[in-house]
Amino acid sequence: MIPSVKLKPLVWHPHIAPVDVSDATPEQIEAMKVTPSNKKISEYVRTLAHDPESYVARTVLFNAIMYVEGGLQHADRELGALGASIANGCKFCAVVHARRHAHLTQSDDVVSALYFDKPALLAPRDAAIERFARRLSAVPSQATKEDIAALRSAGMDDKEIVDLIHAISIFGWANRLMHVLGHADSGK
Amino acid sequence: MTDAIDKAAGLSPEDALYATRRFRPEFVDGAELCRLSVLKPANDQGLVADLRLALAQRIAALNADHALVQDYAAQLAQGQPTPTVLALAAGETRLAEPLATLARHVDFVTLTPASAEAGDIRRLEAAGLTSPQIVALSELIAFVNFQTKVAAGLRLMELS
Repeated sequence: MIPSVKLKPLVWHPHIAPVDVSDATPEQIEAMKVTPSNKKISEYVRTLAHDPESYVARTVLFNAIMYVEGGLQHADRELGALGASIANGCKFCAVVHARRHAHLTQSDDVVSALYFDKPALLAPRDAAIERFARRLSAVPSQATKEDIAALRSAGMDDKEIVDLIHAISIFGWANRLMHVLGHADSGK
Repeated sequence: MTDAIDKAAGLSPEDALYATRRFRPEFVDGAELCRLSVLKPANDQGLVADLRLALAQRIAALNADHALVQDYAAQLAQGQPTPTVLALAAGETRLAEPLATLARHVDFVTLTPASAEAGDIRRLEAAGLTSPQIVALSELIAFVNFQTKVAAGLRLMELS
């Protein structure tokens, strides 16, 4: 048995000055209306608004990959995001998506197993997702045909696997923004 | 229409996976809009197209994605790349500033993102990059890492 872990949210601080809303260009103002999960204008959004074109394009894609209806269960997408964030070393994203996974599944079991680095405690489907996320996140990728076969054995069809590939890959992107352009702490 | 990710993954319209990918038109169209936003943005923030393609080629090579390396090299060849930009694309590390600092950052964030810290951003600033350039560069690096992972995953699906 391992203890059950409940993670508290972290606060993100940028390494560069975010765009000041009062000095923002019309394009930056427009861009800041498109926010991840439609939350308020955070420091993260104002930091990325320095380059409004890429910010808008990426956020629209991110929201589709993580929240579009149908296909892969949302909890599985969150596990893909979590596995990638651990592999890429983005503590902030890992905590956000661990909490979403725990909320969606109403269980801390998966997060606790990963927190204590005990993937052997995961159920077969979760283990297949986590392993694929970790290996696809390596540069170059270490994922194999056997990893895909394990996802299929766990009952995933090709549309769901395509969804999972995108959930893992978009964190190859997001982690390289959050963890490079800023740092996270407990906010205390 | 076949896009950059299909090309990278070796998918053609006859393949079942080509159609499966299009079950998510928002992913296909979204990834293409993202590609344009980091490689051919309306406002390039002073990071010109050849430089962006050269860095993309370099990141694809670190990901051992030969199809994307060839694709970016071909696009770069259609521009007016200087010998220095071609060296940057080919993975050279002995470069004049600010390209040496750019190259170091691109390689490091691609290979070991977990080790990134504030000092890495300060180095970019010391090399003369503005905040918009630092953000645009970060998005470019991160996009190509996204693109190579999607392509790698789709290729494995085709093989299995």
